[in-house]
Amino acid sequence: MSARKLVAVAGALTVAVSLAACGGGSSGGGGGGHAGQTLQVYLSRQASYPNEQQQWMQHVKDEFTKKTGASVEFETYSSATEEQQKIQTSVVSGQGPDIYEIGTTFTPTAYSSGAFLKLGDEQWNAVGGRDRFVPSTLAMSGPDEADQIAVPFSSLPFVLVYNTQMFTAAGIGGPPSTWDELVADAKKLTHGDTFGLAMDYKDPFSPWKYVWMFAQQYGNPLVQGTTARIDDPTVARAYDAYFGFLTEDRIVNPDAANWASADATANFASGKSAMFAMTSASVIPTLAKSPVANSYAFAPMPTVPPGESALPAGGVPATTIVSGQNLVVASYSTQQDLALQYVELVTSEAEQQHFSEVFGVLPTNAAAADAIASGKAQYAPVLEAGKQAKPTPFTGAWSEIQLGLTNITVQSLAGLSAGSVPPDQVQRQLADLQKTAQAAVDKAAAAR
Amino acid sequence: MSLTSPAERPPTATGPAGDVGGPARVGTRRAGPTRRRQGPLWLMTPGGALLLVVVVVPFVLALWMSVTDLDQYTLRQWAGAPFLGLGNYVEAFTSGPLLHSVWLSVAFSVLTTVLTLPLGIAAAFAAHDRFRGRGLVRSVFLIPYVLPTFVVGTVWRIALGPDGAVNTVLGSVGIDGGNWLIGGRTFWTLVLVDTWAAWPFVYLLCLAGLQSIGREVHEAVAVDGASWWQKTVHIVLPSLRGPLLLAVIIATLHHLNNFTLPFVLFGSPAPDEVNVLPIAIYSTSFQTFRFGLAAAMSVASLVLVLIPLLFYLRAVRLDTGLEKGAQA
Repeated sequence: MSARKLVAVAGALTVAVSLAACGGGSSGGGGGGHAGQTLQVYLSRQASYPNEQQQWMQHVKDEFTKKTGASVEFETYSSATEEQQKIQTSVVSGQGPDIYEIGTTFTPTAYSSGAFLKLGDEQWNAVGGRDRFVPSTLAMSGPDEADQIAVPFSSLPFVLVYNTQMFTAAGIGGPPSTWDELVADAKKLTHGDTFGLAMDYKDPFSPWKYVWMFAQQYGNPLVQGTTARIDDPTVARAYDAYFGFLTEDRIVNPDAANWASADATANFASGKSAMFAMTSASVIPTLAKSPVANSYAFAPMPTVPPGESALPAGGVPATTIVSGQNLVVASYSTQQDLALQYVELVTSEAEQQHFSEVFGVLPTNAAAADAIASGKAQYAPVLEAGKQAKPTPFTGAWSEIQLGLTNITVQSLAGLSAGSVPPDQVQRQLADLQKTAQAAVDKAAAAR
Repeated sequence: MSLTSPAERPPTATGPAGDVGGPARVGTRRAGPTRRRQGPLWLMTPGGALLLVVVVVPFVLALWMSVTDLDQYTLRQWAGAPFLGLGNYVEAFTSGPLLHSVWLSVAFSVLTTVLTLPLGIAAAFAAHDRFRGRGLVRSVFLIPYVLPTFVVGTVWRIALGPDGAVNTVLGSVGIDGGNWLIGGRTFWTLVLVDTWAAWPFVYLLCLAGLQSIGREVHEAVAVDGASWWQKTVHIVLPSLRGPLLLAVIIATLHHLNNFTLPFVLFGSPAPDEVNVLPIAIYSTSFQTFRFGLAAAMSVASLVLVLIPLLFYLRAVRLDTGLEKGAQA
């Protein structure tokens, strides 16, 4: 139970405190440059590209030494849990890596801890200026322009992938522009054990993104100022449509109640689904080795919500969240200048283009993004989706809301699998979540 | 089992070596008890210090955390987190998942223990008597127990998927397996998988108990002409009471504490049916960053764990009491 977890946390606190006492960190910096200094960078492991990542690290180490005289040490994490425990321990102890790579949706939580360097004009200029980046990627840097902590490093917009061969065979001209059109197309494409749309209802991350997207399109940002709007009818409607793909429209394989993102990708790759929404360019390596290797294309997801023929008044044409990785500099770091030089290096046009080519994510550097788009037609719609990306509410309460929205889907999986999700069950859970969310938003407001 | 308590053993260790007879020796003996009892006490310092660092300090920290509003906003200045008194406890009991999780955890632990008991005993009986290939059978029995819980969880998650091995086998005999990892049946999935992984523990303790029954007892029973059944019911099972009681208590605690298995099988957020205490506390602490609230839930659930623990401690003390009685 708890006890072990608790002991771990408390133990971490204890160790952290004692370590903080003997802290220090490598200051120094001999000569004109930063020779002798070592920068510690904590970043996510690229599980699909282990060798490439090793090579990339070596490349960056060399470049960084050439530029500053200092060296870089990399440490990687393979799960969000691992990452967060590291951050928590470091935040408590005031000791740890100088630079962290964190996900965009975790950035509000990181911001609310106050443990990361605020970026003013001086810091932005040190990393090459705000103008260097694709504007939409800056939206998750902080709550407003005066309070930013995160520099966009990589972008992974969510898009629709569709089977061009199946579309042509069914006489469908191109990707749908409204969700109703998508459903109608999917119905045409559903026959036997082939379905129009693959869904990943059991994914730990994907479900809340659909609900956020539909709610945005209906005109509800979920958190408005200091008010949570989870009990707004638009949210219930979003769930209705989301579950309805399987239960009402029957365009989704009933097995999808058991599918995570990888399962849905595999199903699309086997040619058993004609479309798969809320996916990203990271599926390219999988699809390239599959039977559909030469018959798929990406497109931004539709911007007109289910049941509507045009964007409702107040609706936002949101499809993808601002997704990807940000870099933050620890406020306890004794070598923040050096850290900013690292950030400058890896967000430069050449390095961004290189990183993108190796790992298949998109650059946040505007010039590099243009270069990638002109080089690969396949990426153009993904880049387009990325430019139109909309930020999730930048509040410390977001983790709780995101988890709560996913939880509603988790509790509905059995119903989904059986063919119907009782609407009153969703309503009840939404009412509960509204209370939790409002409390969390209040807390965030009080803490600011 | 013939344990000698350390306090009674060391006359040779403290007394001068080669000390022979005479009044001097009697004197040593008389002065001995106090000196001897104090003498080795300092030897406890390393263990005591370790206990302090590993158990006492974290526990005090947890108690302290549980009465503060420690969260993402206050983590950096954690020592100054606002004091809430019993606020976290009130929240945990009134609006959190705590009561539901406590109920689930208790039900899960008791059920799993009850199910593993007959399995373990039967396996121990089967592997006790000598036969060809006994060593192999004994090793095979231990496989579920020596596999890391993470591996057990992953393998079963794959096997219990909609098109997994379990449903394929059930399908071949005309049964629709359905969903094991979502919805109402998840609780039973958890019980079954943990039973599969945990029965060898009962088997181990039971086998040890069986082996401690002396050959002469078996011979005496044989001479008296008792049947296998009579022997089992009147001789063997009663002498297994001690080891089995221990097995039951330790296993129950272990099931209560099991975080890895439900986490790997169902992830977090978990279906309500398997939102057992460790998962609920994990989620509160590491997914919504309410460290104070999670600490309160942990402390509250510690009370729960204390109940079987007290039984355990009593059982252990009973044992030493018997030893003392036997020596006195």
